[in-house]
Amino acid sequence: MKTNVMLELVWKDWRLQRRMITLLTLAGAAALAMLLIGGQAIIIGTVFFFVAMIFCACLVPMQNIVNERKKQTLAFMMSLPVSAAQYGAAKLVSTAGMFLFSWVALLGAALYMILARHALPHGAIPMGMILMGFPLIGFCLVTGTALVGDSEGWATAALAITNSSYWLVWYLIVRHVPSLTKTWGGPVAVWTPAVFKILSVEFAIILFILGLTMFLQSRKKNFL
Amino acid sequence: MTDYAVELEGVCKSYRFFELQNIALRLERGTIMGLIGPNGAGKSTTIRILMGLVHQDRGEVNVLGHRMPEEQIQAKWDVGFASDDMRLYDSMTLGWHIQFMKSIYESWDDRYAQVLLKRFGLRAEQTIKGLSHGQRVKATLLLVLARRPKLLVLDEPTTGLDPVARHEILRELTAVMVEDGRSILFSSHNTQDVEQISDKITFIDRGRILDSMDKEAYLDRWRRLRLEAPDGVALRALPGVIGIQQTGRLAVAIANAFEPHLPNAYESTGARVRAVENMTLEEIFIANVERSREEVNA
Repeated sequence: MKTNVMLELVWKDWRLQRRMITLLTLAGAAALAMLLIGGQAIIIGTVFFFVAMIFCACLVPMQNIVNERKKQTLAFMMSLPVSAAQYGAAKLVSTAGMFLFSWVALLGAALYMILARHALPHGAIPMGMILMGFPLIGFCLVTGTALVGDSEGWATAALAITNSSYWLVWYLIVRHVPSLTKTWGGPVAVWTPAVFKILSVEFAIILFILGLTMFLQSRKKNFL
Repeated sequence: MTDYAVELEGVCKSYRFFELQNIALRLERGTIMGLIGPNGAGKSTTIRILMGLVHQDRGEVNVLGHRMPEEQIQAKWDVGFASDDMRLYDSMTLGWHIQFMKSIYESWDDRYAQVLLKRFGLRAEQTIKGLSHGQRVKATLLLVLARRPKLLVLDEPTTGLDPVARHEILRELTAVMVEDGRSILFSSHNTQDVEQISDKITFIDRGRILDSMDKEAYLDRWRRLRLEAPDGVALRALPGVIGIQQTGRLAVAIANAFEPHLPNAYESTGARVRAVENMTLEEIFIANVERSREEVNA
């Protein structure tokens, strides 16, 4: 029976990037730990936590996808028995897997800090979930552009756009959904229809970006 | 099963400033073909098309009986591909790469890999970034050869290598051919390398195949005749001669379809044949390219 090459490609990426993923996750966890100090450290810890998440969303696709083309290891990979579409799918799975590993771990750690250690009021959970969606969308956009765009330039442009949009999107949500700000300091997490609507939109955007990436990747005619 | 390891028929590919025109190429199983062309001739594009990495606009491509690019996955199991712009993972060791290839290819030959490690003077525990250019090329070839592929496709593998490293690599490629049925397509702009190992040679320039035939046929058919013309007579190109350059009484005729009677034919025009010389592959290549460019420009 022939080897599952896609699985080997995913595993190979994990072995190449695992040190970076571990360090980024630890950095995010360290930022979360600052919440326990209280006072100003809560603000600093929260900011650093999101910085670690955003950094992870940028660095993983740049290292795992853009560098493969830049450092000319792509030709080596494409000499293996895989098609462009399979290579793209394997890259998407490995890159998303690495990011999600860090994302899920940090989300879990953040919930633990709120629910078990009471570092923040429970009312912050819905807003936190919405905010956690931002780097996830940013990651998908950078990954899709890096994979389909075939150039460092496009990926860097996607990075610049996503990173400079986070604050704007956050501002628009806070401004147009006042119910969120009213409850985020409360002792109970309030899951209003607006929260579910925003989370659904985030989810739909992620699915759209990933679907479009796979579609465009499968239609490529020049791969090197 | 087709008798050809590689078959390209009517292959075209257009880019903004370059066009591959109507490429027809056949590599019989068990032979080594050298694809010679100047920089930008279309060697790499042709090779990328037959590896399925670039899709042709028109034409048929078959590799080991598989239609490309549709059946590239099946074809690539038996094709070993290396190019001069291919790099390995800098931060990882050669041993890591060997393990990676071994995890993919059941045909991986561990014993042969050990032999190649020794023969190429490499060590499995070396990281790729610590290797010289020559060692990197050898490491890449080791990873390709130890898979025991039925077809080797090598895009300028000897570029930038010192003479000793080039010799080692060419020797290994020749040794690979001892095994029946293996085929090699080998592109280069270094005619010496190609002449050393190829059975068949194809010239390519500006996106067109100029000529393709057995190496021996090239060397037999191409000759340079050094002639001395009678005073005031301009010699003309006789059948089989593609060009003649005359300075005063001395002339040089280049024949691409040399026949033994050709010197006599010139003698009968009053010219004296001073010498009939064999041409090197490089001279044949240059004459071919110049003739083709003159035809295109005319």
